[in-house]
Amino acid sequence: MRQPNLQPPSLATRLLVWFIAPHLLEAIQGDLYEGFQYNVVHLGIGKARWLYWREVFGFFKPMYIKRKQNLYSSSSTISHIMIRNYFKIAFRNIKNNKAYTLINVSGLTLGMTCGLIIFMLVKYHLSFDNFHSNADRVYRIVTEQHRDNVSYQRSVPAPLGKVFRNEYTFAENVARITTYNQALITLKNGNNLKKFKEEEGVAFAETDFFEIFNYPLLEGNKQTVLTEPNTAIMTQKTAKKYFGDENPIGKVFWFDNKIAFTVTGILKDFPENTDRKTGIYASYVTLKTYDSWLGSDDSWGGINSSVQCFVRLRPGVSVAQVENVFPAYPKKYRPNSKNVHHYKLQPLSEVHFDARYDGPMEKRNLWILSVIGLFLIATACVNFVNLATAQAFKRSKEVGVRKVLGGLQAQLFWQFISETFLISALAIVVSVVLSYLVLPVVNSFFNTQMSLNVFTDVQLILFVLGLGIIVTFFAGSYPGLVLARFQPIIALKGKLSQASIGGFNTRRMLIVAQFTISQMLIIGMVVIVSQMQYTRQADLGFNKDAIVMIPLGIDTTGVKMKTLKSQIEDIAGVEKATLCFTAPSSQQAWNTGIRFDNQLEDVSFQTSIKAADADYVPTFGLQMVAGRNVFPADSVKEFLVNEAFTRKLNFKTPQDAIGKVIGANGGTMEGPIVGIVKDFHDRSLHEDITPVAITTYNDNYSDLAVKVNLSNVKNTLTALEQAWIAKYPDQIFESQFLDENIARFYETEDRMLKLIEMFSFIAILIGSLGLYGLVSFMAAQKTKEIGIRKVLGSGVTQILWIFGKEFSMLILVAFVIAAPVGWWVMNSWLQDFKFRIQMNFWTFASAIFITFFVAAITVAYKSLRAALLDPVKSLRSE
Amino acid sequence: MIVRIFDSDIYSGVLFYQQKWKISQLMKRTYLGEFEEIVLLTVAVMEGQAYGVALMNEITEQTGRDVRLNQVHSALQRLEEKGMVKSALGEPTAERGGRRKRLFTVSAYGHRTLQEIQEVRVGFWSRLVNPFRLSVQIN
Repeated sequence: MRQPNLQPPSLATRLLVWFIAPHLLEAIQGDLYEGFQYNVVHLGIGKARWLYWREVFGFFKPMYIKRKQNLYSSSSTISHIMIRNYFKIAFRNIKNNKAYTLINVSGLTLGMTCGLIIFMLVKYHLSFDNFHSNADRVYRIVTEQHRDNVSYQRSVPAPLGKVFRNEYTFAENVARITTYNQALITLKNGNNLKKFKEEEGVAFAETDFFEIFNYPLLEGNKQTVLTEPNTAIMTQKTAKKYFGDENPIGKVFWFDNKIAFTVTGILKDFPENTDRKTGIYASYVTLKTYDSWLGSDDSWGGINSSVQCFVRLRPGVSVAQVENVFPAYPKKYRPNSKNVHHYKLQPLSEVHFDARYDGPMEKRNLWILSVIGLFLIATACVNFVNLATAQAFKRSKEVGVRKVLGGLQAQLFWQFISETFLISALAIVVSVVLSYLVLPVVNSFFNTQMSLNVFTDVQLILFVLGLGIIVTFFAGSYPGLVLARFQPIIALKGKLSQASIGGFNTRRMLIVAQFTISQMLIIGMVVIVSQMQYTRQADLGFNKDAIVMIPLGIDTTGVKMKTLKSQIEDIAGVEKATLCFTAPSSQQAWNTGIRFDNQLEDVSFQTSIKAADADYVPTFGLQMVAGRNVFPADSVKEFLVNEAFTRKLNFKTPQDAIGKVIGANGGTMEGPIVGIVKDFHDRSLHEDITPVAITTYNDNYSDLAVKVNLSNVKNTLTALEQAWIAKYPDQIFESQFLDENIARFYETEDRMLKLIEMFSFIAILIGSLGLYGLVSFMAAQKTKEIGIRKVLGSGVTQILWIFGKEFSMLILVAFVIAAPVGWWVMNSWLQDFKFRIQMNFWTFASAIFITFFVAAITVAYKSLRAALLDPVKSLRSE
Repeated sequence: MIVRIFDSDIYSGVLFYQQKWKISQLMKRTYLGEFEEIVLLTVAVMEGQAYGVALMNEITEQTGRDVRLNQVHSALQRLEEKGMVKSALGEPTAERGGRRKRLFTVSAYGHRTLQEIQEVRVGFWSRLVNPFRLSVQIN
């Protein structure tokens, strides 16, 4: 009858063993086994196996799966009674260890505040222009210009939108909009003039613009407000500024003293999260009156960055479909020009982020910021872990007693988690308050209008809650686990070794991580500082100091500027003055193709034309390499070119270019090259020096550059203003120092620098808090060791070295990690500059020196106290 | 005795409910399911030799039902929770792959319950005026 060799299916048995509660297992398994053996004999092996399986599944019920409760734990881990107890103990601990709590809360608060602000910033930027209906089908038509290199323009030739609308049915709406910034708005009331400078300017917009974009009209009919010439609509805010509480409809204002507009509608004020800031919209038909070329149907010859064209495609129309029809346009309308224009569709969602097309915030920067924010929160957590594990030693007895009295591991774990929770909750509350206080500063710094609505902003609430929970678990779980795992006997006897506390090495690693982060930030800071210093002090190839740039007033006669110039030259503090289009280095440029030596086709590169009179070279101190300066003239007679220009045309020496005839702007501006100027930086140091041609051309002068004597600037400036106002009484005087202007090229970098400065400061601060915790722990651990050493005759310096050795090692290890990473990151940052510094030894030396210095200060106090302690005291404590 | 507390008005509302709850708990214990009753009876019959498989076989033989092991075990577990059976581990045996049996015996409370049930049934049977005649079975 016995056939012991036959075993039940092993898989089924394993399954059974896995799910059945251990205290039930033996009897059940035995019964099943016995039944199986019986069945093998009476029913055969196959049937027995099948029945065995059936029985095993029969036991898959909660009553068999449920594990037996531990007889000695009366309350479960997360019952309301235990939770109340956790918090009570946590409160007591926080109250008893005020210094510890303060360090932790301040560290976490700093990290979290940065995290919160960065979150707000990222959220703010991601929310840009997200409130338009069917925004996924809205595109901007942009231009790629393929010459010897590819350049990107956010605009298109003005007539493109019109012909695209007329010839194709791809788009539901097509809207052209031409924006003029820095507009002069005048209200005339009899002889009484009210002048306003409208920074964000005036836009000539087609009616469809307000179909595509969700900017609702409060007054006026959407279909008709912008159809008639000389009509305009404005936002509530703008209307209020001009007309106060009066009804603005039907009121008249003048734009640049050229055109009078009647207000026909009022727009609701735009939300903050839109890139469109212009407050005044004029009917597009009026553009002809303002700029006859741009307003005409044949201005295909060039691209003006003020022109933009938006489309909303019909559902189902693909981008490729539309982009396929574009190549026909340059062929048809720009037959003489080489095929350099490539029109593309840029989704609305990328307009804010694509720096190639003047998007104000690159997504990459948002990522960098997020990573830094994450870093700071991480260092704060690391800090917490560090201090908490150091603290664990003190609490070993408590843990021992709790365990002896029946505390479970899980309960101890939750107790420490709830302590962490209290601390991080406190930190969150403080950091929210702090963010409130800091936000105005942040807003002015980033030029944003963020607001912190802790009670209504669901995303923000979720973020804050998520942050609290994540920080609690990230920071609390490791110390919690370490403490909960203490063996009660060892803990009570006070025989805890470092190993059982969770390893000194873990904490060393955390400190290294913190120092790595701080050193990386410092390296970044040093590199940015030196690059900024370089840009500020670099020889731009011309003199930018003590030069005042004064925009010329609007003057239809074109003669006022000459008399103004001669009057200004007579002012005492003025050394020289020149009429010009822009300063040598400027963010405005007029680039055009050049025909060389009577050829019929343009050369393959663009040349920046700088219209300026004969005083341009002496005023800016440009250096002549060959030839002579131009003679005074009102129209194009002669050209000066820079060395880059001659290089592009492959002249062996600049001298060879002299006498050659060039024709700019489609051959309309023709003249011989009479002189070569030394290369100067005509753009920011991000960019290469472009080929430049300087020529006399009255129509293009827009600024008066005045070199003043710095000894009596104030009076000179007043005199300049008076002279200017006398010429243009109906306009607003503005002036700017050129060096300030140029400094503004690097606004982004300046901002970046200040941010990194702040972040590295915070990172170092948090890091040194952690260090302080660690050194206190070490000092407590080594009390006896130090006592014995002193008894045996070692000096204070030797004992200090025990600590110094430790931290020097940590800093060195951190440096070994931080240096290559920092080098790599900052090297790629420097790639953005065509003219840049080289990172050198001192960049890295300063990083390690700063951390060393901070660490030394932090460590010194505690370690010195430990070293100076009387050995009698430290050895007596037993 | 329990009933007296139930009737008394000395106790405040809270206690009243607590007591009521206790009573319902106690009353519930005397209730036995039909299968539980059979298992309990079988345990009683087998006199100390009752364990999972043996019980299953015995019940199958006596009642002709198709009983599965897990049903027997769950009934035993419930009976044990109600305090009607006690269990102890026996010696390991070879036919169980070296595992021990859990042997069940009926507790005093279990005995009493069985008796009560029996008495109730006998009482009813005795009051039956017209006992069924066996001859009136289905042909």
